[in-house]
Amino acid sequence: MSIKGAAFRVAFAAGLRPWRSHRSAFPVPYWLLSPSVVPLVVIVFIPMVFAIYISLTALNQNTIGNWTQAPFVGLKHYLDGLDPRGPLAPSFYTSIKASVIFSVATTLFIHTIGVGAALLLNGNLRGRTFIRAVMLLPYIIPTFVNGILWRLVFMTDTGIADQIQAALHLGPRDTFWLIGPRSLWALILADVWASWPFIYLMALAALQTIPADVYDAARIDGATPIRIFRRITLPLIAPTLGLGIALSTINHFNNFALPYVMFGPTPPDEVNVLPLNIYVNSFITFNLGLGAAMSVVALVIMLTPAVLYLRAARVGDAD
Amino acid sequence: MARLLENSVTRRRFLQVAGMGAAASVAVPGFLEACAQSANAPSTGSPKPATLSLYVAKDTARPQAQAQLFDMIKAQFEKENPGSSFTYDTYASAGEETTKLETASAAQEGPDIFEFGSTLVPTAYATGSFEVFTNDMWNHIGGKSIFFPPQLTMSGPSPDKLIAVPVSGNPWAMVHNKAMLQAAGISKVPTTWNDFIDAAKAMTNGTDRWGTAMAPADGFDPWHKIWLFATQMGGQLMDSTGKKGLLDSNESVEACAFWLDWMAKHKIAARQDAAFKGADEVRAFATGKIGFSVMAGPGGIGTWDNSPVAGQYEYTLGPTIPYGMSSLPSGGKPAQGFVSGQYYTLFKYSKNQELALNLLKVVVSPEIQYQYFNLRKQQPVVLDTFKKYPELKQGNWAALYDAALKAYPTPFFAAWGPLEVELGKAINKIASQIGISGSYTMTDLKSALTQVNQELQATL
Repeated sequence: MSIKGAAFRVAFAAGLRPWRSHRSAFPVPYWLLSPSVVPLVVIVFIPMVFAIYISLTALNQNTIGNWTQAPFVGLKHYLDGLDPRGPLAPSFYTSIKASVIFSVATTLFIHTIGVGAALLLNGNLRGRTFIRAVMLLPYIIPTFVNGILWRLVFMTDTGIADQIQAALHLGPRDTFWLIGPRSLWALILADVWASWPFIYLMALAALQTIPADVYDAARIDGATPIRIFRRITLPLIAPTLGLGIALSTINHFNNFALPYVMFGPTPPDEVNVLPLNIYVNSFITFNLGLGAAMSVVALVIMLTPAVLYLRAARVGDAD
Repeated sequence: MARLLENSVTRRRFLQVAGMGAAASVAVPGFLEACAQSANAPSTGSPKPATLSLYVAKDTARPQAQAQLFDMIKAQFEKENPGSSFTYDTYASAGEETTKLETASAAQEGPDIFEFGSTLVPTAYATGSFEVFTNDMWNHIGGKSIFFPPQLTMSGPSPDKLIAVPVSGNPWAMVHNKAMLQAAGISKVPTTWNDFIDAAKAMTNGTDRWGTAMAPADGFDPWHKIWLFATQMGGQLMDSTGKKGLLDSNESVEACAFWLDWMAKHKIAARQDAAFKGADEVRAFATGKIGFSVMAGPGGIGTWDNSPVAGQYEYTLGPTIPYGMSSLPSGGKPAQGFVSGQYYTLFKYSKNQELALNLLKVVVSPEIQYQYFNLRKQQPVVLDTFKKYPELKQGNWAALYDAALKAYPTPFFAAWGPLEVELGKAINKIASQIGISGSYTMTDLKSALTQVNQELQATL
């Protein structure tokens, strides 16, 4: 008897059925999933398929009235943007670079601030509830209001940023924050201010799931606060922080409203992030085919942190 | 149901059903839309009472005046068309305007009437989603001859293919601060760019008083100025076929350099202007900080009349002789500005086209046109209005009237939109350099213009 045959016999003896029978015995979950699968297909997958199709066509102002007949141009838009010799490559790569720097830097800063704030407010602190509520304020302010506020802060000469800088003798009063290389810092600062409470909330929730007796045991054993943080707190909140990093990277990479409000449709290169570039191509210059191609590339880039997180967290594994 | 749950449903079966569902979700709306279209054919009889929908530009400077004007239009329209009325929705940015245009064109469903700015009319024409006006349609609203002639040049690619009815004008002229000019000992408004630079230098103290201002970070201002200077030099930003960008031509480079030199070389504009948008320039003039504002439309009047410069400013025609020249070069045009204003178009898929024409007739009546001036400080576009209301050609409005007569149309190309964006990118980049370092090189400027022209070319 072969080893495979023996395995089947053992399985039958244990009351288990082979895979084929197992499959047909569980139809119900599929039907139960369908109420969420159908909207997902209609809202996400069909538009995604359309976007891929559009990226292969010359859909623009001349063809949008009859968009199903837009001429097929194959990979032209992808080559224009991705081929280093392509006419749109400088703009495209500049945007990818801007988006990556912006999303990584913002994610780094908001995690440092968010975790720090959560650690601070996880203990017994007077007025903790009030402080927690105040800390959420930046997060609930609408993005476009946030953009306008920070644009005013960074106005050359008259903005608060320049005035504080000049008062503290850190730099001249006519420093440009909304144009040139500093515009990236202006954008990062504005976004960090608005989004760190998201990580703070996640970290605080994770911290509150750690049983107090774990800390008590560590203290009895003589562990220092730094050692407790490194060996107990950080490992236990790491899965939550991993999710935070993945979501934050994706959210900031896709942030359109803030850079648009702060810098408009012709931003400096440093903050010409991919969503802004896609918007300008699609909705200002009517080059929808190119905009769709850039969106598909952005999707592929964004799959990277998502896949890394799923692999790290082993989401979907039964065990 | 129990049988359904009990019966085995394989993955294959599940995917088959889901696939059919997905296909149906795509096909059914298309089918329904096709059915609806056949019912959308324009009526040839007298229009049935209905409520029209309009999509118009928001008057961000005077929203109340806009609401008041629409109330007047509605009262008149409802009086002339018993049982009918209209509603309107507004857009506050070019992005909203184009997004709505795209979605309506793709879905073949949208408002009965769209309002567009003059430079978006070619794009609207290219979509094929708007009704080309026949002579009967023009006659229905009073005929083509009732309009200020230059305005019709942006209504369509040729006189027999007009899609847009002018409703208000936005002429470009130069405005100056009379007190600053007088204090600098200048008695005559400059007519050449050499004189302009000299006068602006005389008004500049380098700290809180400047000859002029710039708005290179604006989405539109850069192409306005570069088009003006290039046109006066005899150049074009795009060739006559609309298939070749000329942003890197000698005239374009010279035009850009002349404008950027206001900050970098002549120092008649503050370095801080590098981050300015159009509204910042209007504010700078309102505070008495700058002497000239070049290519200013009537939009600033409302702000300036309620500012320290009220009664102290004057519109005139701007200089037309290029810098360093004593007369116009060969091919150069004495342009003051381009034909600019707002237009109403009739959506091709509207079920209420005839009624919409009745509304357009009300909007272009001299009485309502006067209210565009009276309430919203915009220039009317119907000739009878100027005859009936003399104040439309008096004071500052006299110069604006002259400027409107001398306006040149921009090429009627749908690719003008991308051109505006690309040129803005190059100007923004070099202006940033000037703002930060105080200077730029011609090599950098040429390189930036070559790059954006290449990008523009890829979209043509």
